[in-house]
Amino acid sequence: MITSTSKSVILWGFVSIALIVLSAPTIVVLGSSLTAGNMITFPPEGLSLKWYAAILRATDLRDAFLRSVFVSAVCTIVAIPAGTFAGIALAKYAVRFEKAIQVYLLLPFTIPLIGSGIGLMLIFGNAGVLGQLWPVGIACCVINLPFMIWAVTASAASLDPDLELAAANCGAGPLQTFLYVTLPAVTPGIISGSLLMFILALNEFLVSLLLVDARIVTLPVQIYNSIRSIITPDLAAISVVFIACAVAAIFLLDRLVGLDIFLKSK
Amino acid sequence: MSRQRLILPTVRRRSFLQGAAALGGAAGLSALGMARAFAQEPEKPREIIVRAWGGSWVESLKAGVSDSFTKMTGIAVRHDLTEDNEIQPKIWAAVAQKRIPPIHVNWDTTTNATKSALRGVTEDLSDLPNLKNVTELAKPVGLDGYPIVNTYGYVYVLAYRPSAFPNGAPKSWKELLDPKFKGRIAFYNDGIGFHFPAQVAGGGKLEDIPGNMQPAWDFIAKMKEQQPLLGEDPDFTTWFQKGEIDAACTISTNAREARKNGIDIAWVIPEEGAKFDTDGLWIPKGLPENELYWAKQYINHALTKEAQQVWLDGLGLPGVVPGLTPPADLINDPSYPTKEEDFSHLIRISSKIQVENESDWFAKFKAIMQG
Amino acid sequence: MRAARTAYPLTWRIMDVLEAFAAFVWPTSFRRAIPYLLLAPALLLVGLLVLGLIQIGDLSLRTLDTSTFLLSENYTLANYRKALTEPLFVVVATRSLTGSLIVTVVTLIFAFPYAYLMVRTRSAGLRKFLLIALFLPFFIGQVVRAYGWLIILGNQGMVNEALGLIGVAPLRLLYNYPAVLFGLVQYMLPFAVLMLAPALTAIPEELETAAASLGANWVHSFIHVVLPLARPGLVGAGLVVVTLSLTDFAMPAILGGGSQDFIANAIYDQFFRTSDQGLGATLALMLVALGSLLVGIVFTLFGAGTLAMGRARQ
Repeated sequence: MITSTSKSVILWGFVSIALIVLSAPTIVVLGSSLTAGNMITFPPEGLSLKWYAAILRATDLRDAFLRSVFVSAVCTIVAIPAGTFAGIALAKYAVRFEKAIQVYLLLPFTIPLIGSGIGLMLIFGNAGVLGQLWPVGIACCVINLPFMIWAVTASAASLDPDLELAAANCGAGPLQTFLYVTLPAVTPGIISGSLLMFILALNEFLVSLLLVDARIVTLPVQIYNSIRSIITPDLAAISVVFIACAVAAIFLLDRLVGLDIFLKSK
Repeated sequence: MSRQRLILPTVRRRSFLQGAAALGGAAGLSALGMARAFAQEPEKPREIIVRAWGGSWVESLKAGVSDSFTKMTGIAVRHDLTEDNEIQPKIWAAVAQKRIPPIHVNWDTTTNATKSALRGVTEDLSDLPNLKNVTELAKPVGLDGYPIVNTYGYVYVLAYRPSAFPNGAPKSWKELLDPKFKGRIAFYNDGIGFHFPAQVAGGGKLEDIPGNMQPAWDFIAKMKEQQPLLGEDPDFTTWFQKGEIDAACTISTNAREARKNGIDIAWVIPEEGAKFDTDGLWIPKGLPENELYWAKQYINHALTKEAQQVWLDGLGLPGVVPGLTPPADLINDPSYPTKEEDFSHLIRISSKIQVENESDWFAKFKAIMQG
Repeated sequence: MRAARTAYPLTWRIMDVLEAFAAFVWPTSFRRAIPYLLLAPALLLVGLLVLGLIQIGDLSLRTLDTSTFLLSENYTLANYRKALTEPLFVVVATRSLTGSLIVTVVTLIFAFPYAYLMVRTRSAGLRKFLLIALFLPFFIGQVVRAYGWLIILGNQGMVNEALGLIGVAPLRLLYNYPAVLFGLVQYMLPFAVLMLAPALTAIPEELETAAASLGANWVHSFIHVVLPLARPGLVGAGLVVVTLSLTDFAMPAILGGGSQDFIANAIYDQFFRTSDQGLGATLALMLVALGSLLVGIVFTLFGAGTLAMGRARQ
């Protein structure tokens, strides 16, 4: 309901600036990756796909990307059961020490990433598993777990408890009620949560930086190490892979649960 | 993991036969100095990982050493651009926790490498055949045997853009204090290379290092007012090329790289002097036997005249093998010292003092710059 | 096949067996344990962080011996003394705190209209556009975005090229404090909008209409109606932004040019450049304490806002 012009002018003023600031890096990275030149310039000098050809040949970039995908997969596979169960427990049951458990589960969020990363580095180091890839996935899962739980609790909260009672009334056992009533109700939350977990793990930088070494370097760390060197257009091209993944995730999110889910009041 | 270990013996035998056949025909065999080891040549890893500095540094290493190594042995070389200071604790932790270290070969400053050697995490390299051809510079000072091998020397010069110095080349580091260079100069982020000339420029004496370095810190504090950029090797090249800076205390290699790309850059050794130092290669402990063998072959290969010539042409630095031809653009250049008198203006501080104090100097420099 | 069988399909029978099995391994009397069992995996995962903190605490009590580069065996508080007195850390901590507060204010100023327009617009197309423009950077990650800014803001970047066309000499836009803050605001915007939007959705539009019909202009109704009701969202968003930017590493590292370290960079340096893990651990623990303190204060003053999980937020 925008009645006054001054209101919409001010509103749109802020929103336009925000839009430009939000989109500029993406657009510039996209544009630079298409340059025909050998230096990063914008606008690009001539259009070509040669840098995409270059990254297809670069085994180190491809390996790093595959490692990132593996890390994201581990993260998501662990997060789905852990986050779903915790979300359902928090949303549906009267748990003793609920406040304390909430604070505890928010730890990944309240502990700064550098602290979490160093702590996990020490733990994994002592356990002798540092230098393998799966602990990186576990680490990404731990530090982002609140996102999964939030997504699930948001869905579970909208589930009417009477529905479950009705199912039980109709003779459904607890397991059946869970599988046919509770689980489907929280499915949108699980989908959006796991997509979020996957993407966040794919992009995770600081904790990866602490946990990986050259043998198992992931793509964000590889890019970071390279932009500290000379910035070449192949980095723009590989960055576009991230943009493509983001686009795919948004598309899926919109298709499966609708982006509007994030606007729902809770 | 365990499955890999189970299938290893068969793979080992097969790849040994292939490797033997391939090597039989390889021309560079004697250059590698492996004829002796030929009969029991261990299994080849798919790749070895060499830590390197980015930009022209890694390019030169690739062109001079890694590519020819791959051609000769069939082993791919991956370059890890993790910063030298950052890889150090990772290697130390890996050795302490008895894990396989993250890299096979570390290309490192001699001071940092010596720290690792003192901590006992380096493999002994004394049995490399090519060590018999190298100059005195290759031998690390104050250590038994060859826990590291120095591969070249270099100078932290004052590199500058001639257009920004209309009155001619800067004669002193103090010229960087000119207000017009505010935000237009650069140093290494830990100040490496600048601590010693700053001691002289600040009115102190080199003999007072490390006891009294107050003159250096005072001079660096004045430099901080100039809001310098702080970075690593490739940053200097980028900054010169992009016009971000007019002058820097950096290794000549980085300035020369910008010059190769068509930017007008020159360098001098100011009257206070400039730091001369060496870099080297070493292998961390804890590698599987076969990977250790091939890592050693890599370093051995880096000490051949052919490899040094190409690698150091790229870097523009004097190597440790006699008879190298200096690049045409660096004949009689102060950053390419070859004769005794070339060293008279260069500051050399004993390895022991540097090893014991460098961390403190880095911390102090950072503290001033972040303040 | 007999009729009774088809009336009772296979899946049902499987289900019955499973139910019986579930009842056997988990009798009703155990029912009360179910929520705790459901919580167990998450609690265990987060437990890794707690273990990590204990390790950090242990390290923080040991000092570095520079002759061997090993940490001391015995415990001392020397690192804490050093962390509190060393001017460097005071400077870095002040810079991070001030920075995170500035970033929070600026981010909220831009996030609020964005979230408001997104929630209130009648056009589904515009809403989707705004959502996508938000999610795209959110899903791209910090490193790539910082990389984009390097291209845009460099001395020969787009902005300076454009300024050059109108005859302005290149400006230093990168490698300084404002560049880091700018990068952080851009990084934080999606977080803030996503935390704000649900709170704004919860405000009935009729309230604003009612305020308008009673003669309030939009500024008044904004200040007296929308803003107070959006408080849970503002708290949630502010908290996320302040803690994430206070503890950020990548933006100061990439856009700061080496002289704009935040606390996380100082910790990283202690661990990986100076190799003084003891001091690094001390700083990390102090940062954890600072972050938790901030969150704790905000939680007790305003409640958990949109950050609460599950029943507690209803």
